This record gives sequence, C-alpha cells and structure tokens, in this order.
Amino acid sequence: MSLIPGLGIARGMALTLRRFFEPKATIRYPEQKADVPPKFRGRLQLLYDEYGTLKCETCFQCAQACPIECIDMGGLDTKGRFHVHGGPPETYGERREESALRRSGRPVPDPAYTHFEGLDVRALDEILEDHDHDPARMLQILEATQAAYGYLPVAALKRISQVTGAWYAMIYGTASYYRHLRFEPPADEAQAAEVSSRRPAEAAYLARLGASLGGRAGGDA
Amino acid sequence: MTAVARAWSRLTLPGKVVFTLIPLLAVLTSGLIAAIVLFGGPVVEVLNANLGVVRFVAAATIILVITIPIAFLNIYLEMKVIALMNLRIGPDRVGPWGTALSVVHGLKVLMKEDFTPSGADPVVFTWAPVVTYAAAVLTIVVLPFAPGLYGQDFNIGLLYFFAMGGLGVVGLLMGGWASFNKYSLLGGLRSAAQIISYEIPLTLSVVGLLILAGTMSLNTIVEQQDGWFANWYVFRQPLAFVIFFIAATAEANRTPFDLTEADSEIVAGFATEYSGMRFGFFFFAEYVNVFILSALTVVLFLGGWNAPFEIDPLLDWIGGVLPGLGITTPVTVALDPGGLGLPLLFLILLVPPLGTLLFAAPFYLLRSSMRWWVALIIGFLLFNVVAGGLVMAWAYVSFEWVAGLLWFLGKTFVFVFVFVWMRGTLPRVRIDQLMGFAWKWLLPAALLNLFVTAFAVVLVRS
Repeated sequence: MSLIPGLGIARGMALTLRRFFEPKATIRYPEQKADVPPKFRGRLQLLYDEYGTLKCETCFQCAQACPIECIDMGGLDTKGRFHVHGGPPETYGERREESALRRSGRPVPDPAYTHFEGLDVRALDEILEDHDHDPARMLQILEATQAAYGYLPVAALKRISQVTGAWYAMIYGTASYYRHLRFEPPADEAQAAEVSSRRPAEAAYLARLGASLGGRAGGDA
Repeated sequence: MTAVARAWSRLTLPGKVVFTLIPLLAVLTSGLIAAIVLFGGPVVEVLNANLGVVRFVAAATIILVITIPIAFLNIYLEMKVIALMNLRIGPDRVGPWGTALSVVHGLKVLMKEDFTPSGADPVVFTWAPVVTYAAAVLTIVVLPFAPGLYGQDFNIGLLYFFAMGGLGVVGLLMGGWASFNKYSLLGGLRSAAQIISYEIPLTLSVVGLLILAGTMSLNTIVEQQDGWFANWYVFRQPLAFVIFFIAATAEANRTPFDLTEADSEIVAGFATEYSGMRFGFFFFAEYVNVFILSALTVVLFLGGWNAPFEIDPLLDWIGGVLPGLGITTPVTVALDPGGLGLPLLFLILLVPPLGTLLFAAPFYLLRSSMRWWVALIIGFLLFNVVAGGLVMAWAYVSFEWVAGLLWFLGKTFVFVFVFVWMRGTLPRVRIDQLMGFAWKWLLPAALLNLFVTAFAVVLVRS
C-alpha cells in the first residue's frame, strides 16, 4: 500500500490508541438496561399453547420480515400435513428427528415419509415460460400450476422459487393465503370443481365493474 | 478417618512434600527470629560475617515474591487495556475497577485439577514450567531497579541475563516433549525455533551498545546514562533499540510473534496438555518476561533509574528564586524527621484526625444532604491521598532510591503498555514470515548496526 515500511503498523497502533480513549459500548447489565426498540422481542422461540400444540402456524411472516434472512422454517405445519422447508435438509435434521418430535409433543410424520415426491417439471416450465418467469405474477403462476397438476406439490413450489428467484417463503405465503389453492390432491370431485368457481369475491367485483383486475387483458383460461 | 487424614491422602507426592516443608519453614523462620531476639549479638555477627549469603538469600526471596504482584499487574493491564481498545470496559467487578480480578484468576488456576496425561513423563512434565519460570525469575537478579536496589551487580550482567533468559526455551521444549502429544511436541519445537532465532538479533543488537559502554554491568550502563535524557543510549543506538524491541517481543512470545501460544491455531502449542497451576506457571513466566524485557529495554536504552532531567538544578533554582520573591520558608525539602524530637510524636498523633476533619469540613458544611459520617469518610480518603502524595514527594526528594525506583517502574510500565498495545492491535504473523523476518531483516540490520558502531568508535578514538 504505502512505500514507507511500518506505516500501516503505525496507523493501526494510532487507531487502537484512539479507541482506548473513546467512550465504551459496554452496558453494565444488572445496573443499566439496554435501550431497546418498542417492538423488540428478544430471543426467537417457538411457544406452545395450553394444549401443548405449537402456536406457530407456519405462516412464514417472520421469515419474510427478517431483513437478513436469518429466520428460516422447516418441519411440518401445525396439522402435520405438509412438509414445508426452505433450507437444506441437514439444517433441519434435528428438528425432523422422530424422538425429538415425540419429546416436544409435535406431530410425528410417517416414517416412510420423503421430503417431497419428484415431479415432472415440463408442464411447470411451460407455465413459467408463459408467465415470463415473473415473480410479480405469482398468483397466476400458482393457479396455472394447480390447474396442471391438480394441486401444488412442494417440488413445484421449490422449482418456481428457483426459477423466478422469489423466496420460497413468499411463494408459500401466497399459496397458503388463497383458499382455492391447495397443497394436496383434491379429495373428491366437488373439491376439484372448486377451482373453476374460484374467487367468488373477485367474480363479484368483475361483474360489478365489468373490467378485469390485475391487468389481465382478456382474462386467463 | 478424620478430614485431615482424608485431605492428606488426596494430595499428590509433591503436594505432600510441600505441605511438610511449609510448617518446617515456619518453625525455622520463627526459630531464627527468636534466636536473633534472644541472643542478638552472636547471631548478627554470624550473619554479618556471611553478608554475601544473607544478601543472596534476601534478594532471591524478594525477587520470587515481587514476581507475583508484577505478573498480576501485567495480567490486569492486559485485560483492561485490550478491553478499552476494543471499546469494552473490561474487568470492573472484583475490587476497585476490577483490579483484583487477576488475583481471582490466580486462585482459580490454583484450585483447578492438575492433570498429567497418561504416557507423559511425569518428572519432566512437572519440571518444565518450573524451569521456564525460574529462567524468568533468575534474570531479575541483575536488574538494577534503583541506585543500591539490585540483586547482584555482575560485571557480566548482560551476558548472565541473556544466558538465563535463553534457558526458558528449555522449559518449553521439556513441556512439549513430556506431554506425550505430537502437537505439543511440534508446538515446543516451533517455539524453540522462534526463540533461538530471535535470540541472535536480540543479542547482536546490544553488542554495539556494549562497544560504546565498554562494560556488561547493567549498573554501570545505567550510570553512564546519567543526567539529561540526551545521554540515553537510545539516541546513540536508535537502530539497535528498534531491533532490540522487536526481538524482545518475539523473545517474550508476545503478539505479533506469539506463535508459541497461538491460541487460535495450535491450541496453546506446547501447553496443550497442561492444566491447573502448571499451566499457570507458563503464563506467569510469560507475564514476568514481559516485565523483565521492558525493564531491560529501559535499562539499556532509556537510562534505567535516571530521571530524564536533572532535578537538583531545578531545586536550586527554586531555592534561589523563592527568597527573591519575598517568600521565606523555613521548610527545607530534605527534612529529617528524627531531628524534630518530641513534637514528631504529637505530629503523628494529631495530624491525621485534624487533617481528616479539615478535609471533611467543606463537604459537610456546603452540602446539606451529606451525612456527617459520609463527610468523614471522604475527608479521611482525601487526607490519605494528600498525605500519601506529600510523603511520596518527600521520599522522592530525600531518598535517591525512591526517585530511581519510581522513574524505573514508570518507564518500564510504559513499555509493558506498549507490549499490550501491540497485542491489542497487530495480528499474528505466519511462521515463515516470522523466521524470514528474523534472518533476512533483523540479523543483517543488527550486524550493520554493530559494524557502523565499531567503525565510528575506531574513527573517533584514532
């Protein structure tokens, strides 16, 4: 850097000497309390209600709000149905371990369970191509995916996340927000038919306004 | 089985020896004191006849004892200074400003289990820290703390210093070898390589100074730097000073050359298998070493006990000016307390309570919320500070050795601070950088300094 040997050392020594006389950052805890923001909640912890079930609803809002993406979610949702996970499997090995789940009173998955089944992604890739891989059109992508596969497989969600660049947490949040989107194959015909009569509120709005929402010129099939 | 017997059975063999020796020593010491008191004359005569032995025993004892507060002070300085440089507060719970924390650390280390790994050579393993510590302590013998305040004035003092200081590496090697751990052995060899490499520039850098001084006696070297600070050898041997300080850093295993310990890389190297007080002794030795090398730097290059200015002309000037200003004080600075006679007794009896009251009065009178006893405590403390300051000032002026000791310790702890400061700033060097720096830069620079000094001396004298 410099042509004078030892200048860097001298500058470093000067820096530490200045720090020596600067005010200190330490808070002497029992006597002084830190001045924390009003919404500060301290350590992250999953809580249980009086029935012993996890209060966390796997809504992913914390993961979405986390500015440095340190919150990540994995494991089963509260009803033990869907395996949601947004990180590498080894991160969640401890939490998925059966004895740990039993000890903590959480639902235990089927031992023959696999993360998610493989998926033929050709149809999905066509859908994504149609929607220009645009994460802003997530709802349309999800609806088209459900139309193609009958439901939203985890593998499809991961594929969408990977291709569009949207966070898995956001996609899951979007998918779980809408009633007509589901994560498992429809139980019967009636449930499958629900898809066609989708979004009654939006249908009412459309009838009222005589126009389409969301800039979908000509509507989607 | 009584509690005493159970405790005794739990002791290791060295522990049993020590616990037998302590009461024996106590009996012997009290017996000696009683003998001196009862039959004073002959005993004192015997001691007087063997003054050299008595002086040596006293010096060895005092030196062993003063290493404890020195090491504690260094450890405290290290914790506090580095904390302050990291924008932390550092120790502040035990004692005022956390000053007693290093003592607590020492007690903690003492109470820990002293563990010897199976397969280790127990004798060598036990003696390694002793050798390291003894090497550090033995060097203090020749350090001149103040005029008349030194263990021994050798005419080969500096040589003795380097010889004893070099023994420390034997302890490190012993520890590394006896641990029965290949990584400890590697750590020991690595530290041996480092210390031996740096011993060469360390010693060579001083040779130029020796040519100028013409003696190896540290006392004489200090006396040669008498007077104003321009006489200090640092101004005649600046390159030697820089080389010496860098090599001393490596010699004391301090950052940036603390590859011996390197806690983040080789888990304390040779000391991996050590625990308890044996581990503590290695670090005790390190902190004592820091003090010793700072002290040697001060002795060789910065005038040792000499003040950077001459105080006598200043006092003479004050003595000459004050009457000229119309102030005639009967107080002479070189006060002899014995000359006061009986009034001295009244002084000792009356001055402390009166001074306490005097200092307490303004606080009690000016602050209505203050309790009388709080004011008294404040007054007492203030009186102590003022009286202590006055006594120190009087001792500084009256006794040469007090002034010398104060200057010596002040300068030394400036260097201890620099060592700690460097530890708070610089990252650790790599082992090849360390060796390359010693052999490619420090050694040629030391040789250059030596030859230039020798040439200059020859030119001046011819």
